[in-house]
Amino acid sequence: MRRYLIRRVVQAVFMLFVMSIVFFTLLHLIPGGPDAVIGANNPHITPIQRAAIRHRFGLDQPVPIQYLSWLGNALHGDFGISFSNSLPVAQELAARIPATLELFLTALGFALIMAILLGVTAAVKQYSITDYLITVLSYIGISMPVFWFALLLQELFGVQLGLLPVFGRTAADTTSFTNLEIFEDYVVHLILPAIVLSLLFIATWSRFLRSSMLEVIKQDYIRTARMKGLGARQVFFRHALRNALIPLVTVVAISFGGIAGGAIITETIFAWPGLGRLFLVAVNFPDYPTLLAYLLFGAASVIFFNLVADILYGVIDPRIRYS
Amino acid sequence: MATVQSDQLLTQFQPNEITPELARKRRSQFRIIFDRFTRNKVAVAGFVVLAVLLVAAVFAPIITGQTSTYDPPNDPNLSIALSGPIPGHPLGTDDLGRDELARMLFGGRVSLAVGILTALLTILIAVTVGSLAGYYGGWVDMVMMRVTDAFLSVPLLVVLFVLARTFSDGSVPSIVILIAAFEWPSVARVVRGEFLGLKEREFLLAARTLGANDLRLMVRHILPNAAGPIIVAATLVVGDAIITESVLSFFSFGVRPPTSSWGSMLNNSRDFISSDPLLLYLPGIAILITVLCFNLMGDGLRDALDPYMTER
Repeated sequence: MRRYLIRRVVQAVFMLFVMSIVFFTLLHLIPGGPDAVIGANNPHITPIQRAAIRHRFGLDQPVPIQYLSWLGNALHGDFGISFSNSLPVAQELAARIPATLELFLTALGFALIMAILLGVTAAVKQYSITDYLITVLSYIGISMPVFWFALLLQELFGVQLGLLPVFGRTAADTTSFTNLEIFEDYVVHLILPAIVLSLLFIATWSRFLRSSMLEVIKQDYIRTARMKGLGARQVFFRHALRNALIPLVTVVAISFGGIAGGAIITETIFAWPGLGRLFLVAVNFPDYPTLLAYLLFGAASVIFFNLVADILYGVIDPRIRYS
Repeated sequence: MATVQSDQLLTQFQPNEITPELARKRRSQFRIIFDRFTRNKVAVAGFVVLAVLLVAAVFAPIITGQTSTYDPPNDPNLSIALSGPIPGHPLGTDDLGRDELARMLFGGRVSLAVGILTALLTILIAVTVGSLAGYYGGWVDMVMMRVTDAFLSVPLLVVLFVLARTFSDGSVPSIVILIAAFEWPSVARVVRGEFLGLKEREFLLAARTLGANDLRLMVRHILPNAAGPIIVAATLVVGDAIITESVLSFFSFGVRPPTSSWGSMLNNSRDFISSDPLLLYLPGIAILITVLCFNLMGDGLRDALDPYMTER
């Protein structure tokens, strides 16, 4: 187990290192790279000013040297300064994490509850009307473009019914609010984005849980438990569900790795001040230091949570052995 | 004496065992798969709807009298902007007074072209990588699977937005290349798995003994046996690619005006939700139905192509 873990961590670090080279080269060698962005919006810039800015960002040096100095800084947690607002990139990213994490955790938690409810119901009542209905809904959930779902909810709950706020994380002015009102304000702002973000997770996880439930029910130990006289309900929830959840744990952990890309759509449509919006602004600028840091952050979270998923799987299921 | 006996045995068994009844029941491989697929009513419904959409997309230039490949007629007429359904414009008009039906049809052309071309390109890359890795194993497999892992570790939307912003010229081929570049790894894994399993089978040993070389073994003997899972994966890639294209176009990283796309039409509709909600509903429903049908058909094919599925 320990040797397996060490090997996987070394592999992950090596992979990130290679990716940093690829991303860096890609972003610096393309036409319209960082060099071309400097002064692109300012027709009055003099060559001397341009040279000064290039020097400030280190763009006057050969790309390999630029990479090495970037890498040296990055290993100390310094990812350069943003082209768009001259603030440290690392600080900008860190400032956005809480908002995205809040949205992501709420959505995943909600999705998990819904997926267990729907998946178990569909498995218990296999081939019933309820089962078919849940199947149809999950098919629609998988095929639905997320941004359209978001627009529909905005239109329905925000515009037509006027029930829920459709933009932002808090009301514009919260100074007169009591503590309870501030909390309420947070919750109502969270509802729609969290539902939108959870849609795809609910649809895929409930399908997944349904089939893993049906797989487990066929096992001998379930028949043994029933033979010993335990009730159907008890066998289902105490014996079957607990085993059926094991593979779902890894799927949930892997989903967590998608935090960098997963929230872009939802955050943009609901004007949620998280990582996804920071990224979209950076792409449109284009703000290369931020993009490079974001790409690596995204890759690192995918790799890290894949590793977590593998380890969790072994911890929860003693039948798994690492070699 | 002994030879005569065995000859007699042979003649006894050979010709008259295939009764007319059996001959009638005998079906080709394709026929078996076809029969199994058509028994799945939902999958057939998906296929029929897709066929209708495909015909509509193919004949869009004739229906609208426009000869361009992807661009709908560009005839703004502000006096009838956001009209809702009126004579001559059965689905109404957009904010510039352009016919919504024509834009929907040409948007469908873009979506279906991107979806299908992406699936084809994805298969080409995935089969090449997956078959080489699975067949040769060893260091070839090691290198190719690490590359696959690397591609799978990149957050899809993040890298697609960056590359679309910097590399894409907004043309359909450039979008196809971008999406396929990140769809192939998961399919390559499927292909590799199939090749790993099939290369150990006896019929392959037999073919090799008869003198078939590596290429022949891969293309003529393993690939046809791996076709099922590859076709299924490709069908699901189509749906994925259509959604991805609509997301790119929604964020204006996809096709550029005057080319219409369901994604960019949805982005455009945001400002006119209250004045003409049809603009919000139509493109979304179109994407949903198209992707849903590809997914349903993919699952139907999965069951029909699986040789271990017993006939019900």
